[in-house]
Amino acid sequence: MSVDVAESAAAPRRAAEPARRRPPQGFDRPRFLRVFAGVFFLVLFAPIGLVILFSFNSSRSLQDFQGFSLRWYEQFFQSESLRDSLIASVQIALVTMVVATVLGTMLAYGLVRARTRWSSAANVMMLVPLVTPEIVAGASALLLFTQVGLELSITTIVLAHITFSISYVTVVVRARLSALGREVEDASMDLGATRWETFRLVTLPALWPAVIAAGLLVFALSFDDFVLSFFTTGESPQPLPVRIWTQIRFGVRPTINAIGTFMLVVSTLSIGLALLLPRLFGRRESGLGVLMGREGA
Amino acid sequence: MSAIRFEGVTKRFGEAVAVDDLNLEIQKGEFFSLLGPSGCGKTTTLRMVAGFEQPSEGRIYLDGEPVETVPPYNRNVNTVFQSYALFEHLNVEDNVAFGLKRRKIPKDEIRTRVAEALELVELRGCEKSQPSELSGGQKQRVALARALVNRPSVLLLDEPLGALDLKLRKQMQVELKGIQREVEITFLYVTHDQEEALAMSDRIAVMEGGQVKQCSSPEDVYEHPTGPFVAGFIGVSNLLPGVAENGGVRLSSGELCKADVPGDCAPGAQVQLSVRPEKIWTEEAEEGMVSIEGTVVERVYVGTSTQVIVELGSGVRLIALDQNFSRAKADDRWEIGDRLTVSWHPEHSLVLR
Repeated sequence: MSVDVAESAAAPRRAAEPARRRPPQGFDRPRFLRVFAGVFFLVLFAPIGLVILFSFNSSRSLQDFQGFSLRWYEQFFQSESLRDSLIASVQIALVTMVVATVLGTMLAYGLVRARTRWSSAANVMMLVPLVTPEIVAGASALLLFTQVGLELSITTIVLAHITFSISYVTVVVRARLSALGREVEDASMDLGATRWETFRLVTLPALWPAVIAAGLLVFALSFDDFVLSFFTTGESPQPLPVRIWTQIRFGVRPTINAIGTFMLVVSTLSIGLALLLPRLFGRRESGLGVLMGREGA
Repeated sequence: MSAIRFEGVTKRFGEAVAVDDLNLEIQKGEFFSLLGPSGCGKTTTLRMVAGFEQPSEGRIYLDGEPVETVPPYNRNVNTVFQSYALFEHLNVEDNVAFGLKRRKIPKDEIRTRVAEALELVELRGCEKSQPSELSGGQKQRVALARALVNRPSVLLLDEPLGALDLKLRKQMQVELKGIQREVEITFLYVTHDQEEALAMSDRIAVMEGGQVKQCSSPEDVYEHPTGPFVAGFIGVSNLLPGVAENGGVRLSSGELCKADVPGDCAPGAQVQLSVRPEKIWTEEAEEGMVSIEGTVVERVYVGTSTQVIVELGSGVRLIALDQNFSRAKADDRWEIGDRLTVSWHPEHSLVLR
């Protein structure tokens, strides 16, 4: 035992050594790939950087930066309609997150554990919302809501968001559940735990990094969704992305940059939290691995 | 009263019959092995005892009580799984205590019993370790302690040593047998490794195609296999095809081998003559032995012994095992192409149909 601990502690140190000795220009890592990667990230992040920069601009201009100020943030938070939209967006995202996570987890459990001839078909069908063009999803949701006479409101947006979010949760949780294997649940029942106790004491603790990660992912997706919200929103309050779009039609104002930066921060935070949480609670796996369905180390 | 009794137990998965009319009685305190190739129904049998599968027909009795209506969590049996199936989010101590907590055992008693169980599997000092920090052998021990701590009336083991390397496996075999003797719990052990079954079991049931082919002590199963399948599956056996005659078997190569032909085996019947490699002599024969001449086609040096593969007339091959009593040399006695005489005592051969 003591030998094992010593070994595992020494392992990272040993692994680090060869990296130091590696020749600076190995034939397997040509320089142009680094340049390529650099250009890629520049193109990817430069526009976002510009938005952030100009959100702090003291002048109205969208071309030259004239000094630091928070006036656009002030305008954003003082505008009542924008504040209502922000609150609506957060509400929508929260409800969507909770409901979709619960339903998606249940669906994943059913798909993995119920081995019937239908489950493989259901496994494929579940992916349909992920590949359906959002225009189609939005239009069909709108059609459905008007057909059944549901008045468009925050509720209809939430319903539409939940529908497409369930698939994301299921994909993430299902991967985790398959990796967990059936024998662990068998072992729990073998040791005297009922089905419910087994789910509560064994399955859920093993699943929760995936469940939390999926929930935060859904929050981010719902929070900045535009197309689906656009089709299913009522008059007011409109969710933030729809509100921004409405505003832009009357001319681009620098407030947009402030709102954009703010939304970026919220989305990044929720995804970052999804990646970090498993680690904070002492799991040796990364949230990224959980989201991508990789098994923990 | 027997610990487990199977009464005409059959299990079907759709069309496939996994277990076919199983009748077995396992005694209290016995180390009983179900041995067979993959797909022979041994694991299904185990899972039916644990309660994870229901028999399609027949009944299973645990301690004399029929158990078909008892769910797994209310059966007085515990399982050691092939994959260990440890709870990764719990440390070693909590893994072992899991079963006791479900049964609402007082905290103090849980602590002592967990400590005892970890002592038994020599894992004291690892109480707070996470399963992911343990080696394969240690995980194996945790799984064993987690099951034994509940003092089940039967412990079910599903190829528990399958994932360990050879050396550790041999060591664990000896330990498992010792632990079983110490706790005096009935062990039902599933394995495809015949050596493992021979080394540990009080009795072995050799299974094939959902049926028990032979159920007996290790010595009996090895020395007196009742059929070609058992003879071939347990250890290495030379199975020489031939025809039964009065007082022996006429091999397809023409030689008549003296052997004890069973009474129900009419002369002229197609049979196989089974001889274990270690019973075959390659030195000069004794009085009354069966002797056949052949050609060495291969010799395989394996350390403790040398396998000599001999081709008899008409292409029948047979393996003889030469013990390396003295230190082996590279220029050993047998060269490929040598002629030699193999011989065995007629009572060491078996006529199988």
